[in-house]
Amino acid sequence: MLASAKRIKRNKTLDRLFRYLFMGMAILSASFIVIIVLFVCAKGIAPFLPGYEYGQVDLISFLTGSVYRQDRATYGVGFIIINTLICSFLALLISFPISVLTALFIAKIAPNKLGKAMQSVIELLASVPSVVYGIFASGVITAIVRSIAESLGIATFGGSSLLAVIVLLAIMIFPTLTSMSITAIRAVDHDLESASLALGATKTQTNFKVVLTAAKSGIFAGAILGLGRAFGEATAVSMVAGNKLFGPTFDLFDITRTLTSTILTGLKETTGLDYDIRFSIGLVLIAVIFVSNWILNQVKKRIGNQV
Amino acid sequence: MKKIFKLLVVALIAISLTACQGAGNQTEGTQTDSPTTGSTINVYTRDASSGTREAFEDAIGLGEDLTDSASEVSSNGDMATRVGQDTNGIGYVSLTTDFEANNIKPLSFEGVEASTDTVLDGSYKMQRPFKFMTRAAGDFESDEKEELVQAFIAFITESQEGLTVVSEAGGIVDMSNARPWSEVAADYPVLNSDNSAITLRTGGSTSVEKVVSAALEAFQPLAGNVQYAMAQTGSGDAFPRTLADEKDGPNAIDIGFTSREFNDEEDVSGAMESGEICKDAVVVVVEASNPMTDITTQEAYDIFSGTKTTFDAE
Repeated sequence: MLASAKRIKRNKTLDRLFRYLFMGMAILSASFIVIIVLFVCAKGIAPFLPGYEYGQVDLISFLTGSVYRQDRATYGVGFIIINTLICSFLALLISFPISVLTALFIAKIAPNKLGKAMQSVIELLASVPSVVYGIFASGVITAIVRSIAESLGIATFGGSSLLAVIVLLAIMIFPTLTSMSITAIRAVDHDLESASLALGATKTQTNFKVVLTAAKSGIFAGAILGLGRAFGEATAVSMVAGNKLFGPTFDLFDITRTLTSTILTGLKETTGLDYDIRFSIGLVLIAVIFVSNWILNQVKKRIGNQV
Repeated sequence: MKKIFKLLVVALIAISLTACQGAGNQTEGTQTDSPTTGSTINVYTRDASSGTREAFEDAIGLGEDLTDSASEVSSNGDMATRVGQDTNGIGYVSLTTDFEANNIKPLSFEGVEASTDTVLDGSYKMQRPFKFMTRAAGDFESDEKEELVQAFIAFITESQEGLTVVSEAGGIVDMSNARPWSEVAADYPVLNSDNSAITLRTGGSTSVEKVVSAALEAFQPLAGNVQYAMAQTGSGDAFPRTLADEKDGPNAIDIGFTSREFNDEEDVSGAMESGEICKDAVVVVVEASNPMTDITTQEAYDIFSGTKTTFDAE
């Protein structure tokens, strides 16, 4: 009797101990976010405050500027924001239909074995490091873009172009989008499908009108994740973007510059304002991602509510 | 749902229209028959923090006049790859680059071909020296440190091993008078003791960093495991931190480096030793099939500032 009471007590202490351990871990990981945000904010806001050691930068001209020249200390990221949005959304536009149809095939149409094999291929694609995509892009995609441009009689910077960035990003977000779509499509209630088929709809009609409609919320979540990856991708993008000094770029065959490639290029060798301003660009990037995610979430809610 | 799709479609059409328009405009400006002569030059440049870019812009006096339509690349290798893939490209790389492997052609500058010999005899002008200065004799923390600094200077300026390290790190050196390290080291008995408690501090030009860090790394095991700390911040800091007002402050260093000649304010006569480690040369390059072979200062300025936008037919 006494022994079991002791055991209960010990177990209780152990429980409490682990509770605190888990709480400690949670606080630690949460505080990392706070520390990172505070640090980036402190560094990124500093150049716009009066009394900044390398000379105060005007916030308005920073946010709306259309020229980014470190050698002239002209830092305008307005056009870079537009470029980043263009690249990411066009990539999503290309990738979205391909991914959804692939997911539909894997989850609903393909024979079991083939579907499984294809799913592992897509998971494999998701785990390829971005620098490998970058090498592929600067070796293959730029060559293709160059030959297309040449056949149209357009001069390019060796294939580095907006088009190359879009194609690269479309390929990179494809696995994320597809995996999410597969999960969403698999989660659709079987009864719904059976009902649709029983009512006389064909398989294709059921897939498009019932399955996709029921899965759209999950598919949209995948699109948001994919877009996040497109916004944040730095290494591979800076290998094919060409880093234009002014903009914005609307010509598919002209070089471009994204927020991430701007942060990355020359980071290791630089000091002073040119170094600090990259934190400001980081803040802008966070803001851009935040705003576009918010908008997409609103759209998602609306779509989710409509049946 | 339908509304959103409509909006998306409208956006897509709008974007593709602007894209087509842009592409159309460019087609009018270019002549398609000949890929090199007559079409627009694509100017490639390094990012603004690059030492190679600084050396190049100084050599042609470009200042801040670089054309806005230049494409920024991230490294020397990146520059070589891109120019090699672009028949209308022009850029600049360091002399140690492998030209053939990258399908690029080095241009002679003002009629002089770039090579180790022409750089060393001074006839090739697109170059700059990497120079050093030490603290004044007797102004070091200890006699051992003073001797170690002397030994290090001897290592990178006189010994075969040291000069090889410097040239592998991209510096252009004259190896003809080099002696084996064992012979040089004999003059510095301090090398035989354990020096792991001593830290050599270097500073000055960031462009020299690669050469200096390679040399220090090679020197360490030869000098009783001496420690080192590098704080490369810019050529302008070399003199004040070794010989002038900052020499006893928190940023004091033992050896300072510059990536240019010493200027009038930098009186290094008080230094224990000063001189040149190596030279750094920049070469203007074009794609291998480009008929161009030589470039003048004026021509380089015109192309990189954007006033000259097509290659001459030759």
